[in-house]
Amino acid sequence: MDFITSYSVRRTGAAIITMMAASVIIFAFIHLIPGDPMYVLLGDGATPDQVEALRHKMGLDRSIFIQYMAWLSNALQGDLGTSLFFQEPVLTIIVDGAETSLLLAAITMVWVVLIGIPIGMIAATRQGSAIDQTASGLAMLFASVPTFWVGLYLILIFAAWLGWLPSSGYPSIFYDEGGIANLRYLLLPSLALAAPNAALILRLTRASMLDVARQDYVRTARAKGIHPRQVTIRHIFRNALIAVVAAFGFTLAALISEAVVTETVFSLPGVGRLIVQSILRRDYPVIQGVMLVTVMLYLVINLAVDLINRMLDPRVELD
Amino acid sequence: MKFLNLKTIALAATIFASGQVSAETILRYATISEPPSLDVQMGTASVASLISSHMFETLYAFDAKFAPQPLLVVSDKVADGGKTLILSLRKDVVFHNGQKMTAKDVAASLTRWGAHGSRGKVLLKTAKSIEVTGEYEVTIKLPEPNGAWRAMLAFPNGGPVIYPADIVTAAGSTPISKENYIGTGPYKFNDWRPNRYVELVKFDKYAASPMPASGLAGKREAIIDKLRFMPVPDVGTRTSGVQAGDYDYAEFIPGDLFDDLSKDSSVKIHLNGAPIFGLMFVNSKVGILKDNFKLRRAIQMALNKEEALRVSIGPEKLWSANGSFYSKGSAWYSEAGTEAFSQADPEGAKKLAKEAGYDGTPIKLLVSTNYQFHYDQAAVFTKHLAKAGINVQMVVVDWATLLKKRGQPDQWDIFFTHHGTVPDPALITAMNDSYPGWWNTPRKQALKAEFTGTADINKRIATWNKIQALIYEEVPAMKTGDVFSYNIASPKLKGMLEKSMFWPNFWGVSM
Repeated sequence: MDFITSYSVRRTGAAIITMMAASVIIFAFIHLIPGDPMYVLLGDGATPDQVEALRHKMGLDRSIFIQYMAWLSNALQGDLGTSLFFQEPVLTIIVDGAETSLLLAAITMVWVVLIGIPIGMIAATRQGSAIDQTASGLAMLFASVPTFWVGLYLILIFAAWLGWLPSSGYPSIFYDEGGIANLRYLLLPSLALAAPNAALILRLTRASMLDVARQDYVRTARAKGIHPRQVTIRHIFRNALIAVVAAFGFTLAALISEAVVTETVFSLPGVGRLIVQSILRRDYPVIQGVMLVTVMLYLVINLAVDLINRMLDPRVELD
Repeated sequence: MKFLNLKTIALAATIFASGQVSAETILRYATISEPPSLDVQMGTASVASLISSHMFETLYAFDAKFAPQPLLVVSDKVADGGKTLILSLRKDVVFHNGQKMTAKDVAASLTRWGAHGSRGKVLLKTAKSIEVTGEYEVTIKLPEPNGAWRAMLAFPNGGPVIYPADIVTAAGSTPISKENYIGTGPYKFNDWRPNRYVELVKFDKYAASPMPASGLAGKREAIIDKLRFMPVPDVGTRTSGVQAGDYDYAEFIPGDLFDDLSKDSSVKIHLNGAPIFGLMFVNSKVGILKDNFKLRRAIQMALNKEEALRVSIGPEKLWSANGSFYSKGSAWYSEAGTEAFSQADPEGAKKLAKEAGYDGTPIKLLVSTNYQFHYDQAAVFTKHLAKAGINVQMVVVDWATLLKKRGQPDQWDIFFTHHGTVPDPALITAMNDSYPGWWNTPRKQALKAEFTGTADINKRIATWNKIQALIYEEVPAMKTGDVFSYNIASPKLKGMLEKSMFWPNFWGVSM
């Protein structure tokens, strides 16, 4: 077994322990929140008898420990339970929401890479110029402005005024009319979500490149008469990329939490909005399921970033 | 080849930019939230009533003057001094599963509604029998006459909609599952995709009432092929979505946008004809306000409801400082007791509170942030009460928590909720003895018996006047004023009622 494989196996073992601990914390905290899903389901006029009858039918009158053990046992077999609100399997609901969230994250990352890295490179190679100052200023602006604000203005300009793109919603590219053309529904939300993250990557690329450019080996490369473009790409950019890739891991993880706001503003049927609505409705099985999947996603992303960094730079210590 | 490729790219780009064009008409309605179960016999959520009113029907329906008219019945007969109701049903009504509606279905639906329904217990819990007395005839025997029975059978919110007998009997006290959403309405259930939409499609075999259309009563005709109700919680998105043409209708638009949207040619304002009103229930079970009516009156005396409405709602077209539980023009409108509605007299309140023995003990006001106007009005009232020396502690929670806490009498002294206009005062929640607040005084019980014990409308109106006066005297709940919420529609929608009655309905509407 090579080092990377044995490292991955060890990290997976640790991840399982982390997920078990997270499941206990998630379960306990959700049930500590005051509020009653039965009233949400039955409405304002429900009588205590109706509430108790439904609570019994849904198994919510059992002790928290018994409920947890039942949930854990099912979860280990891949069954995350049934939504109290929708009466549908939690896994089906999450998978439906995941299509939106994963595509949104993917398109956002494309924007982040296309905007953040090239402009960061240009700003670094023209340090102090008007281009650098404009890029840095705009990056500072978009890093500071809240995502929902950017989102609302994008809707106003591109949907309400110009009518070029849809304002909100997202029909599935797999199941709904429109097919692949439905991706246009994700253009504005992905731009809104990309704005602060692209700004962050731009600033990081610029700073990292300027830092590497001051290293001795870059000076040596220049002294040897290597073409400036080759120095920039091979010696500066490639080494600066290590810090940028590490930041991509955080950015991707941050997208999961930032997507909550974006999905709400653009009314996207993603996992972010699902979790917010499920908390408001006290739909315990959905909250537990989404949180567990999110924790798993964080762990996988972290592992992937560590492994990629090691591949980019064998000097990186994994332990 | 190169030309073909360019052409393909151009075509793909066109489709990408515009989406596909479909011949069928789909109305896209942006709702404020996702509905809970659409089994409206069991729940009273407005969004569920809005959607299901297109699928399910009641025996009676309200006409434009809010008078109940036959919908699934042809005629009725009242015997035994109002204790026996004989309902003759229409013979042409078909369920969405193709089955004909008979007395068996109606009796089973009414039996379940009476036993487990949100509002059914008021009329039918003590019913001696609900019997099938003919293939198309149902007979209900009540222990006492109830003058509000037609209105109660007509009100669809938490109301007695008719399902096939086997479905409703199997469901019992639990909400009916979505595969069993079988009704008799002009639209039938098609699909519910969580977090995306609920979709109804035109029911081609719908048998409309032969009576002319009026309000919710009479002939209903589905013109639009599909109705799609999509949850869009963010109000900015709902609004710009209609402006951009992504939705055809959006509900619950805030008052501060009213003036701008009134001038916007890309949308049409659609007012709700029946106002909702804030209600602050007072704890009659435990605590400092339990039976201290004088202290309750002192609290009401300190409040300036007009100021709270202006702060919380905005444009004057959207609110009315009306103390009556019904709007002017309604048969139930009454001014009895309303002089105490909004006195804005902190000094008088301070004096009255002292006479009531108030010693500065904090009064817990339970309020939610989910409904902005609840919170805004509660904040204004807290300041009014502070001026009168009445110490109010706001307990601010989310709506789900409030629903739980209000059932725990030791958690609050006053809680804030709102109420829609109901067709008969018997349906006002304060009339329900078991509703949180638990108003159950001997004077209330005597007047309630007088009110429901007669079918004579003039006698009932006279008794309602006395009940409203008693509400201002014993203060089981404080009305905070009428709010006329409004929605926005695409100008391409034709044939909508000028103002919606309870919520918008889309039969008879084209686009």
